[in-house]
Amino acid sequence: MTFTLFLEQAFNGFQAGITLFLIAAGLTLILGIMDFVFLAHGSQVMIGAYAAASLTALTQNFYLGILFAIPISFFAGYALEYLVIRHLYKRDHMEQVLATFGLILFFNEAIRVGFGPAALHSNLPASLSGFVYILPEIPYPEFRLLVILVGFACAIGIHLLVSRTRLGATVRAGASNAAMTAALGVNITRLRRLVFAIGACFAGVAGMMLGPLTSVEPGMGEPLLILSLVVIIIGGIGSVRGAFIAAIIVGMVDTMGRVMLPVILRSFMEQASADGAGPALASMMVYILMAVVLVFKPTGLFPPNR
Amino acid sequence: MTRFFSLIGRGLLQHRAMMYLLVGFALFPLYTGFADLPFWNDVAIRIMLLGMAAMGLNLVLGYGGMVSFGHAAFFGIGAYCVGISSYYDIFNGWIHIGFSLVTCGLMGVIIGLLSLRTSGIYFIMITLAFAQMLFFAFVSLETFGGDDGMSIDRAEFGLIDLYEPLRLYFLVWAALVIVSLLLMFIVHSRFGVTLRAIKSNESRVEAMGLTPLKFKITAYVISAMICGLAGTLFASWQEYVSPDIMHWTRSGELMIIIILGGLGTLAGPLLGAIAFLLLEEFLPELIQAIAPDYAENWMIVFGPILIAIVMFGRGGLLGLLIKLFQRKGAS
Repeated sequence: MTFTLFLEQAFNGFQAGITLFLIAAGLTLILGIMDFVFLAHGSQVMIGAYAAASLTALTQNFYLGILFAIPISFFAGYALEYLVIRHLYKRDHMEQVLATFGLILFFNEAIRVGFGPAALHSNLPASLSGFVYILPEIPYPEFRLLVILVGFACAIGIHLLVSRTRLGATVRAGASNAAMTAALGVNITRLRRLVFAIGACFAGVAGMMLGPLTSVEPGMGEPLLILSLVVIIIGGIGSVRGAFIAAIIVGMVDTMGRVMLPVILRSFMEQASADGAGPALASMMVYILMAVVLVFKPTGLFPPNR
Repeated sequence: MTRFFSLIGRGLLQHRAMMYLLVGFALFPLYTGFADLPFWNDVAIRIMLLGMAAMGLNLVLGYGGMVSFGHAAFFGIGAYCVGISSYYDIFNGWIHIGFSLVTCGLMGVIIGLLSLRTSGIYFIMITLAFAQMLFFAFVSLETFGGDDGMSIDRAEFGLIDLYEPLRLYFLVWAALVIVSLLLMFIVHSRFGVTLRAIKSNESRVEAMGLTPLKFKITAYVISAMICGLAGTLFASWQEYVSPDIMHWTRSGELMIIIILGGLGTLAGPLLGAIAFLLLEEFLPELIQAIAPDYAENWMIVFGPILIAIVMFGRGGLLGLLIKLFQRKGAS
């Protein structure tokens, strides 16, 4: 375990965490404000990734692809809320779980019909596929660094939006007491639709950035969805600040665990079984973390003030 | 007074539905025997086992109001009990079942006690987290096949050779009857009534001097054990077990089955399992007939069906049947 590898993995962990935050930020508001269990948020990630990948292929320009994919993600969320979700707010959690589970099946299959079951290739433009020296003699892929920067910018944007704008104030008010907020003259219906669309938009951006790093394929959203649910629960439902901290923790634990655990296991196990068990144990660690947090703080680390 | 009678009538009808279903499953092999459709026996076994697991989940979900999104874990533990026993050359089915009941009971106590500290969305998520944890635990256990799973032989049940046709079918059927009778008893006992009272108003039950947690954890453990039993028999039937058996989508599937059939009813989950697996069998064929190119993509229809069930199908299939029956009775 060299220092170089460690640093590189720390950056990767940070990048994974910040991507998770983009997905979790919208979801935590949806769960927090609307008390709505939305499982199809992973599909929004997939829609964003597919929109960007196919538009990039169409326009032969990565940046144009991204530029057009962002409004598509936004309107996908807007339309989904209008068509399906708004009918489900008054239902109990289990029914919401089921209906949004149905949405996942639908979106995955629709993508499979539209784009085929194979993964889409999304190549990086030459201008982004180089390396940057973060420290002398430690190269780091340019694109990953860009992901970190964009993610950070989005995180600051979300923070300012929620804490400094009028929209954010109504969102926070809605999170603590929806009925009272509505009584004070805020159009809750519009607010919900807007939060949904913005959440979908950020999830889509996460998908666009993940596209070139992982594969763009049907069902790519579900592992991300479950991880971001973990993030939200650890951070406290409805808390954007909690989601950010939890996302970084989860991203770090997941990435570092994947690299470190096999190394640690190898010291007292055979190499083959250590390499096999390591990644799975690393995936377990995230859930163990969540269980531990919930056992000691049943409403997450940073429950929003009520 | 009329309300009182309609409640009794509804209760009776529910149990009658259960009785019809159990008799139906007992007679089903006669039909498949005459019509020479042995494949459908396998479908019926899957229906009975998934139905049994759903009935177990229904005890916490429908009667207790605890939305557990991780019951596939117990199904999987039950299945792995067969795999792990076989790995150590224990092929006796009774031991498998005992092992599975004890393990699932213990896991139920641990997971239940930890999860029940939370409620609402947090409870849904923590149960999901425990299920995922176990899922990855089995993925990491290379000894028992890891990701690829392991193939196993059907268990030995003394004189009952499960490789003989229909032996397994009736073993599963007998287990289903026992579980049904047990649940019928539980639901109507004072315990069951208290459980439902907790679902509708927990603080009031607490104010009456009872400890809701005791009832909730007991229900959770019983339901875990029922799911485990179903998983054990499922592994023996499938002759194969892999972590996929406890994938989180299966927890979703079990919930779908319950909602489809009727939440918080005895016969509902079984009815739901029939509907769910028949949909799974026939939807691809139906789509094949309409648009042959898309037969593989039957999920694209299934997803919206689910949403429609949630939006319009209150009370599930059993509720629908009761409505039909009552209308007939009234006219």
